[in-house]
Amino acid sequence: MTALLRQIRLLTLRSIRARFLRFALSAFGIVLGVAGMLAIGVTNQTALDSIVRLFENTSGRTKLSISSATQDVNGFPEQVQRTVGNLPGISAAAPTVRALTALADESASDQLALGLFGMSSSDNVQLHGVDPIIEPQLRDYTLTAGRFLSESITAREVVLVENYADDKELTLGGWFSILTPNGVESLKIVGLIAREGPGQTNNGAFGVIPLGTAQELFNRQGQLDQVDILTTNPSPATAELDALKASLQTRLGKDLSVTYPSGQGERMTQMLQNYQIGLNFMSGIALFVGAFLIYNAFAMTVVERTREFGMLRTIGMTRGQVTGLILLEAGTLGVFGSLAGVGAGMLLARGLTRLMETILNSPLNTVEVPFNDMLTSWAIGLAVTLIAAGIPAFQAGRVSPMEALRVRGKSGEGWLIRKGWILGLVLLAASTIVLIANPFPYDVQFRLGSMTVFGLFSGATLLIPGTVSGWERITRPLMKAIYGASGSLGSRNVQRSRQRTTLTVAALMVGVAMVIMTRGMTESFAGDLRDWISAYIGGDIYASSSIPMRSDVGRRLQAVSGVEAVAAIRYLEVDWQTADGVESINLMAYDPVEYTRVTRFVFSEAETDPASVVRRLQAGDAVLVSSVLSEKYGLQPGDTVYLRTRSGFHAFEVAAVVVDFYNQGLVMQASWNDMRRYFRINDASTFLVKVSPGENIAVIQENIDELYGKRYRLILESNESIRGRVLTLMDQAFSMFDVMALISIVVGSLGVVNTLTMSVIERTQEIGMLRAIGMTRSQIVRMVLAEAGLLGVIGGVLGLVTGIVLARILFIGMTTMSGYKLTFTLPPEGIVLSLAAAIVISQVAAIFPSRRAAGVRILEAVHYE
Amino acid sequence: MPVLEANLVKKHYKLGEHTVEALAGVDFKVEKGEFVAIMGPSGSGKSTLLHLLGGLDTPTDGEITLGDKQLSKLNEYQATLARRHNVGFVFQFFNLLPTLTAEENIILPLVIDGKDPKRFKERLESILTIVNLADRRHHKPDQLSGGQQQRVAVARALITQPAILLADEPTGNLDTKSGTAIMELLQRSCRELEQTVIVVTHDPRAAAYAQRVIFLRDGLVVREFPISESTPISERMSAILAVMQELEAE
Repeated sequence: MTALLRQIRLLTLRSIRARFLRFALSAFGIVLGVAGMLAIGVTNQTALDSIVRLFENTSGRTKLSISSATQDVNGFPEQVQRTVGNLPGISAAAPTVRALTALADESASDQLALGLFGMSSSDNVQLHGVDPIIEPQLRDYTLTAGRFLSESITAREVVLVENYADDKELTLGGWFSILTPNGVESLKIVGLIAREGPGQTNNGAFGVIPLGTAQELFNRQGQLDQVDILTTNPSPATAELDALKASLQTRLGKDLSVTYPSGQGERMTQMLQNYQIGLNFMSGIALFVGAFLIYNAFAMTVVERTREFGMLRTIGMTRGQVTGLILLEAGTLGVFGSLAGVGAGMLLARGLTRLMETILNSPLNTVEVPFNDMLTSWAIGLAVTLIAAGIPAFQAGRVSPMEALRVRGKSGEGWLIRKGWILGLVLLAASTIVLIANPFPYDVQFRLGSMTVFGLFSGATLLIPGTVSGWERITRPLMKAIYGASGSLGSRNVQRSRQRTTLTVAALMVGVAMVIMTRGMTESFAGDLRDWISAYIGGDIYASSSIPMRSDVGRRLQAVSGVEAVAAIRYLEVDWQTADGVESINLMAYDPVEYTRVTRFVFSEAETDPASVVRRLQAGDAVLVSSVLSEKYGLQPGDTVYLRTRSGFHAFEVAAVVVDFYNQGLVMQASWNDMRRYFRINDASTFLVKVSPGENIAVIQENIDELYGKRYRLILESNESIRGRVLTLMDQAFSMFDVMALISIVVGSLGVVNTLTMSVIERTQEIGMLRAIGMTRSQIVRMVLAEAGLLGVIGGVLGLVTGIVLARILFIGMTTMSGYKLTFTLPPEGIVLSLAAAIVISQVAAIFPSRRAAGVRILEAVHYE
Repeated sequence: MPVLEANLVKKHYKLGEHTVEALAGVDFKVEKGEFVAIMGPSGSGKSTLLHLLGGLDTPTDGEITLGDKQLSKLNEYQATLARRHNVGFVFQFFNLLPTLTAEENIILPLVIDGKDPKRFKERLESILTIVNLADRRHHKPDQLSGGQQQRVAVARALITQPAILLADEPTGNLDTKSGTAIMELLQRSCRELEQTVIVVTHDPRAAAYAQRVIFLRDGLVVREFPISESTPISERMSAILAVMQELEAE
């Protein structure tokens, strides 16, 4: 052990110290990978936990919940609560009536809150009408002032969340005046609660009132929206609870749904899934790009230190000891690099969580990075570093002792350089096959996918040595044209050390490929999103409200001067019978004729005739399905879907497939008549308003606000404004991918600096000779720049090809998993820019080495050894 | 028993379709404490012979015996250990680790062997005195002249008290004065430490320090003659030059 420590001190640590800058820069690779992996993992988990915890917290000790299976706005009879409360095994059944309202005397906000799940009013307050005696048995309300509700279920009192009360300048003992169907009503504020547990509902814009009061104020006499169940056994086993759930469901029938409280959170987590899949894939790629860069850095080190290893072998160091030396250096890099990666990951996690909050339009829990996650990330980073450095370490051990006796610069090329193209082709073929035709389940598919990215890059790299001379011959005239005779000399230099050229080109290739991949993905997504947004947020003005709007509001809006057409839209959650069970989706209902007057459909198949679709919807019993559902479930026009209505599951014919990103694509569209007929709903969530040609949209918007804003609590926003904000949201979501790509390019460019510097040092004598026979300093500079330029061209082109392949593969994967049928887009300017970037980077990276070369002193150089 | 024995050693290399015969059957012995120089023109096979003597390569035919070990019968690992314990190397280009001090470069073979350098303090001091680098022990290679670096290399080769010390063109990268100093050092190690030294060189001045010179040509030993230590260096050089001219004329 002492001997090992001695070797570490003398050989490993000294080597690291002597090449500290190189090590630090190499560490970027692993920092990138570990930070990305940890941050994305933690952010995903924080988001998931927050959502599930939100539902669990607000549910309190509830074991089961009963609600309307058809999402009936009228709920179900309150008799259900009395029946259930008397059943064996149930100690309490807490009734709830939910009402969404707003403060009577507050002006409407002028902006909608945007999120991944759609838009919402930032203005409403959710009230729960509860039984004041039963309710505290299930949920803990943390009072910060005053008291909880009195025992009377008809008292005109309310308990609000403290933060909300502070925001709205409401005080204990004051009055809480709200809008109801019967006009403005006031409730006395008797208590304030903390924003925890049930106080987190609706982001804290929440209050509890007596059940009878809620029923009276909102015309819900004899109705309930939910009954929460407390079991006699406070901690029932899963099987016991399952049995109770099943027996309740059987007793209550198909109109009511018995669920676990956290089940409501599951739907939201599913919706997050697609975005998280993309992030996880990128985190996997980040790790493997980091690994590739580590491999590159160590391979470069081995090339540099060939003579040193030869000497160590000569004086008796075994192959294993030499390999161990490199692995120790890699291990040291891995230990500290991964540690730095964990630190960076924690910071990145906080930033990503804030970004996720913006996307979800919902606050998330404080980011906690569990120690286990940190340890796991650190360990994975260390393992990946050791694995990545494994091949160069093995090669170092294989250095012949006779290398120490060779004249400088004449070492032989290993098998990988001479024949590696065979392995390269195999790796490329295998990686492509695995990535395209992966038989594994989705999650494993992406894990495997990110590993085969390593294979793809490695395969492309192994092809470089065999093709370098070809590249050089093709580009030599160009280099000569740009850099003169020096250019021709410089470009030939790339063939002198094919190994070093390979490693440098590979690093650049990875950087460029990452940029192409992220740009391809974001442009494709953004392209389709823009198209969809312009139709989805159709018309010119988007009008919504914090309270349900009767359909006559639409007629009033239509009557405003300057308004050409108005389309009412209603969103509701419905159950859909699939082959695997029941899936909850969103149903968007509208009058098809009104709708097409304001906006247009975005069909999946461009040839679909809108007029025939309108006729089919009007005829009834028809739906449009999103391309996501169509992809996932193989739904085509003419198929039948079964949706749960008030009278049970009803068949609807699929009239067409539309592109719809709302609700992560889990959406169908139906006619207003069908909604009224089968779901007994006749109020609108939003109105799309189209302004007459030539009219000023802002003026019309102002007129509408003046006439109806206060009465109907309207939130008005121009569609242009909303579209802009949605696209900004998407840009933010994808910006992180761009950051990763940028880091890869920077690391790649460092590879160029390194290679050229080594190349100049090795050729000091030669450069001295060139200067001696009359080459000027500027010609020397141009020679080095030409060499760098060629590296940039090869790296850029290879990066472009591999990047396009990767982007397409990621694309196919995301389409398969999410169901989004996106159009792959890579703008031509993106291609040109990437190539140009690679060349520019190579030239910038060559500045220092070329100046070094130009500064060589002739006399010193010719005697240099 | 000789320290080193080469018996009808042959070495062929394949270069494309051709076979190059680097050594065609070399025979010689080296006794303990002997200083031998191996000379020959380019392509004579002297570097190849050096590789084989140091266990860096294996002969195509014949045998090299180092002490009691037949080098061709050793596998790669055994050959490495044989080198570690029995052979000291001095290279033309010094090959010191730039990150280590002179002293640390010298004790490097001990560290590689897992030994505690503190236990070899006396030997180290003695060698530092012999190579006259005691006052430079804490300097790094870039702080030493070429001659000093080569002396560090010699010290490194001596620290394990190897059976043989092999030097490949040890003065090839040095000026005349430094080169002379190195050869005198090798000679002294022979005398004072009973070290067996084999130098491969094309420089007659360097070879003049040996006790015996072996001439190679076309892979064979063509001449072998002893040199008297009592003869002045210049005379020894002349004798060597004369033999070289003779061989050239043949």
